[in-house]
Amino acid sequence: MAQAGKGRLNYRCPSCFMRDLDIDMFFDRDRQEYYCIRCQFVGTEQEVLSWNQRIRTRYKAMHRRFTSFDFD
Amino acid sequence: MEQTFILNLIHRPEMVPEYAATVTGQGREEDIANKKLLTESLDIFKTQQRLAHENGLKVTIQMTYAALFNEEAVALARHDHAVYGDEIALSLLGLPCEQFRRKYKTKDFCIWMFSLEDKKRIVDDVFGKFHEIFGFWPVSTGSYYMDADLTNYIKAAYPSVQCAVATCWEEGPKAYHTCNNSWYTLFDGGPWAPWIPSRQNTHAPAANAGEDSGIVAIPHLSRDLLACYDGNGSNFGTHPQNVLRGMIYDAETWEYPYLYNLIDQYRDLAKYNDGYAYNMMFVGPGWMNKMGRWEAPYELLLKSYSDGCRYYGDLKKQGKLVDMTMSEFAAFYRANKTYTQPECALWRDILYGSDKQVFWYCDPYLRACVNMDQGGAIVDLRPYAAKLSWPVGIGTKHVQDASYPFLIQEKYRAGYFTHYAGEGTVRSAKLRYHGEEADLCLCRTKAHFSREGRRRILTLDPVEIVFSGLTVKLQTRVLFEEGSGAIELERRILSMSDPAAQVELDEYMVACYGTTEYPEDMTGILLACEGGRREEITYEYRCREKSVPDAWQVSAVIPAIETKVSMTPSGDAEGYVREGYAFSPMFTLGFKKMMKEKEAFSTWLKLEKAD
Repeated sequence: MAQAGKGRLNYRCPSCFMRDLDIDMFFDRDRQEYYCIRCQFVGTEQEVLSWNQRIRTRYKAMHRRFTSFDFD
Repeated sequence: MEQTFILNLIHRPEMVPEYAATVTGQGREEDIANKKLLTESLDIFKTQQRLAHENGLKVTIQMTYAALFNEEAVALARHDHAVYGDEIALSLLGLPCEQFRRKYKTKDFCIWMFSLEDKKRIVDDVFGKFHEIFGFWPVSTGSYYMDADLTNYIKAAYPSVQCAVATCWEEGPKAYHTCNNSWYTLFDGGPWAPWIPSRQNTHAPAANAGEDSGIVAIPHLSRDLLACYDGNGSNFGTHPQNVLRGMIYDAETWEYPYLYNLIDQYRDLAKYNDGYAYNMMFVGPGWMNKMGRWEAPYELLLKSYSDGCRYYGDLKKQGKLVDMTMSEFAAFYRANKTYTQPECALWRDILYGSDKQVFWYCDPYLRACVNMDQGGAIVDLRPYAAKLSWPVGIGTKHVQDASYPFLIQEKYRAGYFTHYAGEGTVRSAKLRYHGEEADLCLCRTKAHFSREGRRRILTLDPVEIVFSGLTVKLQTRVLFEEGSGAIELERRILSMSDPAAQVELDEYMVACYGTTEYPEDMTGILLACEGGRREEITYEYRCREKSVPDAWQVSAVIPAIETKVSMTPSGDAEGYVREGYAFSPMFTLGFKKMMKEKEAFSTWLKLEKAD
């Protein structure tokens, strides 16, 4: 089994991201999966992208354009 | 002053960009002279310059030490200075290169972490090289952090310097944590907007000419004053790739309204600061790596920077933005600001959909955060009045930790307490009635800003406290008097469902000191309660309490940070001080007073340097 390397786009671990940790994942070519070296997360690219979408749900106003910044 | 929104746009040709070496070079032996890396880095710099100029924006080019050895980088800077009026400045970032490593025999690259002797050697070397190449001395410089000793040396040796990038707002333990405890930029506790640093401590603004370090400092980026305080600072700033790092964009359309909301909220701060507002954008080349970064392909990195420049450029075309070089800005700042004039920011959540609102205040005596979602509680407090001498770097007590210590920090010391045993740091008030108790921290409200002479005033919407059999309507005002080093909290009972009832108001402050999440030794802190008699406690973790009826002052002297914090009341009240214990290493200062309908009571929280 060859050593792991970085994937195409330096995906970070979405599970760690949710606890404010930026950890680049490594790609296991034999198993065709990304894995986190710090926590137990493993996933295919599609799973990583899906988790990343889940992360964005915390930003409820992410798509909103604000025109007022006070409550006067 | 007329409404003025100023942009400082800064680029640096970095020959070995942060991130790029480790990202591009993963799986290879380190080679900081890698030609591919150098070429790519210069290409990114050229792209950044092109995008700025296409949008009609002026740039401050901060030459790195490494760039001074690169003829093409020097020629580019000369050309853009001549053609576009860009300022050629000198950065103390980007030190790593073959020449630096050979000479200094270290991989250290953060100027504030070197010994003072090495700081001077490096500054002389870098400034000397700059002069040799360009034939003049730089007027602006900077790093992620500039400690006071470093700034004082530069100003003494190179008086041409007028402006410096001197801190990243709230880049401290949170940034360290985000990088899996490996990013040693520990400098919480500074201003978020430009200031004149004191000679004693960079974070603490100068109160007068005697304290003036001689430079105008600008923050590295303009950061989200709510999201950044709670999360990774590097996700929430006027740095388009920071926004990508935070995944704050639509993965399909590649749109990021948050970036524009952030810029617009900064523009909106002009109404709290006499018409002046400020932004800084400074993206190092490593963030526009051709390999992509933070899941984002190069095309998205490029698009975001292009969009950022376009947004600022459009504002300029509409007459809503003035772009300045760093030295131009320093001149503007000196001409338009006084030493004691505070920086104010009434800031709302623009990302999570919470409508939370905070108010940040900063002057030469204190920095404070008032949280309207907690009834106007003070949730962060830095005693700048102490002008704490805090040398950093190798050979000092603080090799990496450059943060200005807090007395209150709700994220590192619990804030309003919800856990099992102990207390958290916060300045709030409790109401008691027939054995029931309610803390204003649980009253969510909003604030409105006004100014009366030298006072900046926050008037909070009234809140209701509901006890069994009694409803109390209370209003809070928070008043900051310029130059006083004090914060007045006024509580007014607007009405009670039983007009004859009386409630006990307990104005309190739970505090400690520190710069990180971990406790410091509280031994020796002197707590005092003064009125008809004086009561004292010298801190020994013994959970003691003392009180004095009709007290005129309660106080704590914290020798480790040379700070005295006190509270004084507007009328008769019982003052008390409380020692903590090992599992709750805090102290409490407070006043208790019985209140009737229509009555008001104020307390002043004052910060002073302790001798």
